[in-house]
Amino acid sequence: MRRVQIAAGFFLLLIAGFLLLPLFTSNTSFAFYLMLWIIMASAMNICVGFTGYLPFGYVVFYGVGAYATGICYKVLGLPILPSLLIAGLAGVAFAMILAPTLRLKGVYFGIVSLALATIVRLIIANLPSDLTGGSMGLILASSNNPTLSYYSMALVLIVTLACVLWLSVSSLGKALKAIRDDDGAAACVGINVPRTRLKAWLLAAVFPALAGGIEAWHTNVVDPEYAFHVLVTAKSIVYAMAGGFGTILGPVVGAMALLGIDHLIWQKFPLINLLLLGLVIVLLMLFLPRGIVGGLLHRYPQLRRYIA
Amino acid sequence: MQDLVLQGIVNGLILGAIYGLIGVGLNVIFGVLRVVNFAHGEFLVLGAYLALMLAQYAGLSPFWALPITFLVFCLIGYLLYFVLIPRLSKSNDPETSSLLLMFGVSIMLGAIMLLLFDADARSLEYEIEPVFLMLGNIILPTIRLITLAISIVIVALVAWLLYGTLTGKALRAIIMNRDAVRIVGIKTERLAAVAFALGIGLAGVTGVLTAMVFPSFSPFMGNDYTLIGFVVIVLGGLGNPVGALVGALLYAVTEQVASVFFNPSIGTICGFVLMVATIFVRPNGLFGKQVMR
Amino acid sequence: MLQIQGLKKQFGGLVALNGVSWHLPPKQILGVIGMNGSGKTTMLNCINGLYVPTAGKVLLHGKDITGWPVEQVAREGIGRTFQVPRVFPHMTLLDNLDVSQLHKGRTAEERYAVSVKWLEKVELYRLRHNMAEELSGGQQKLLELARIMVSQPKVVLLDEPFAGVNPGLAQLLISVIKTLPTEHDCSVVLVSHDLTSIYQLSNHIIVMNEGSILSQGSADVVKNDPAVIEAYLGA
Repeated sequence: MRRVQIAAGFFLLLIAGFLLLPLFTSNTSFAFYLMLWIIMASAMNICVGFTGYLPFGYVVFYGVGAYATGICYKVLGLPILPSLLIAGLAGVAFAMILAPTLRLKGVYFGIVSLALATIVRLIIANLPSDLTGGSMGLILASSNNPTLSYYSMALVLIVTLACVLWLSVSSLGKALKAIRDDDGAAACVGINVPRTRLKAWLLAAVFPALAGGIEAWHTNVVDPEYAFHVLVTAKSIVYAMAGGFGTILGPVVGAMALLGIDHLIWQKFPLINLLLLGLVIVLLMLFLPRGIVGGLLHRYPQLRRYIA
Repeated sequence: MQDLVLQGIVNGLILGAIYGLIGVGLNVIFGVLRVVNFAHGEFLVLGAYLALMLAQYAGLSPFWALPITFLVFCLIGYLLYFVLIPRLSKSNDPETSSLLLMFGVSIMLGAIMLLLFDADARSLEYEIEPVFLMLGNIILPTIRLITLAISIVIVALVAWLLYGTLTGKALRAIIMNRDAVRIVGIKTERLAAVAFALGIGLAGVTGVLTAMVFPSFSPFMGNDYTLIGFVVIVLGGLGNPVGALVGALLYAVTEQVASVFFNPSIGTICGFVLMVATIFVRPNGLFGKQVMR
Repeated sequence: MLQIQGLKKQFGGLVALNGVSWHLPPKQILGVIGMNGSGKTTMLNCINGLYVPTAGKVLLHGKDITGWPVEQVAREGIGRTFQVPRVFPHMTLLDNLDVSQLHKGRTAEERYAVSVKWLEKVELYRLRHNMAEELSGGQQKLLELARIMVSQPKVVLLDEPFAGVNPGLAQLLISVIKTLPTEHDCSVVLVSHDLTSIYQLSNHIIVMNEGSILSQGSADVVKNDPAVIEAYLGA
């Protein structure tokens, strides 16, 4: 229990920092995106760290959330907050539709997931442009409210982190850990593996959908290029991995570390930014495959009492 | 209409050969090493650029570029193996780790190509007389026919390598049971490097062929080719070279025929849907092995 | 209690299990011996749902559970251990046992109490907060046994529980297995190459060979059966 309390304490400090930041500076962009990526990485961790499946089409929830928000607001004329709620629901609905893929084995799952996300992206590109804005995307101009969208993202962050903490102590969380360790043995002790995986899957889909919707609100644009871009999945995976899958603190630490590095590199070397991102991934995989937190726990297992 | 459909099928068969090559390369690497080569598409595009450079600065035709690219890329693959792969075996989950590692490599390669060659699409100018042949009402561009022939030759060579030589036998043995091979005394590390080299070499060569067939290429098209490659080998069954070819043909024909009726992106959708549907009916692909629950 | 009728399993051309039938009454231990490849593990896999039998039936308390999914068979009351122990390596011992009781509808306190009881029985209580991967092979086998017993199964299938276990731990295992029918109302199917333990523990023994039953009976009957001696025990 102690380690969960320590993690909770850390999260409280972090959230307090985010909540208080706008009082001190008007440049909240970095913090906004840091919150976004912590959410994306943590939700990715729920899926990977708890079920053992790597969803390469993860971005589809983000994109669906963004488009649902955009369509509800722009085309259907709903106010922004109900649109966001619908975005969250749309994410869950999509997760349900994609649920049959959970039956597949590891690598097959990853690739089918990627193929499905591409299919969704192409379908949206082919839908009538009065619905989805075609290749220009949707512009949500009149809804712009940086402060409110910032705090909405913070709210989603709170919910995400609370959920992650809850999972680590709940029965569902333990069942998921067992599945990740050995899904055959988990079935042999009575765990309904597909049904349990589904719960984690649905849970993991809500947060990127909300994040995508809020980001669209914040920037006023639903951009078809970006909303379904494989880099969104890639960054979510990498940030979570950099911290360490299967740990609570991992994705948070990873997102903070890598986003910080990304920010510094972009500021100093804008031209070779992408190259360095790739290099960081490669170096991480070669030398720190369990991530920062994961590697630490592997080296010093006694720390598992304090670090969740 | 019927002619258009036939044209679509023919296009599909020709493209299928190229997609099949992508699949065979991926399968060699996955089958022997259980490494998911996410950077395969980027190596492919790099091969295309090499062919372009050889044409522009050395005046060499793509036909010369083929063997040169193969050798260069095999060498690159062999060296890269020792830099990248041995550490992977130490991780908890080598397959996932390799996936992410090669993903990082793919981003790096894309960025390197962007820095070296700029983002503009390039094309390999190559004329051949006659530009196309006619079979009834069907147009058969000569270049595409030639690349089809070359693809078949390459596949035959790979098949000969895998089934006719001692090295190939050892490689196939590794696919079946890595530890057993080690016990028997074969140096698996060296062999694995050879497999990786072969896979990368194939990627490069496929890139040259792609440059000959498709109108243009740019640094970030790698992703699309990698995706097609994976769709194809999943469809055919991971690790199965024959499966990759069959999968590639099925995919390409579906894509091209659907494009005839709708548009190219819907064609892609149909091809992908075919793969997803197949996986649900046969969870290990068309030719994959059945596993225990 | 547990009955299999004409159980058959075929993989393509290979017949791993060729029509095996037996009946295990309540509170009894059935020993299964046989050469490697005789079909023992295949038989266990067919019973607990890891394989779907090609033919034949599996009946628990008269209920036909043939081909049921693994977790349903587990919930119905059949537990199983593996030749190479499959504990959950990145979970603590307590969590390993906790997770096995989730389907029983007990509160967290109740689950904890049962987990502690069984950890004490297998003498692993002091390591309860350690990760399962830190245990030795023999200790993991004991943990696996405890893990099925906490869910109060009616039948347990033990696949080579003594393989690779040092004599001290093996003794502990034997004493625990002995109590399963008497104190825990549980029947046991015990697959093993360790003939001493099999003779010591089993009420009834079947000898398998090439997918069929070669001989069966009490320890004395089997030991002296000429067919068994020729095929398995050696002259």
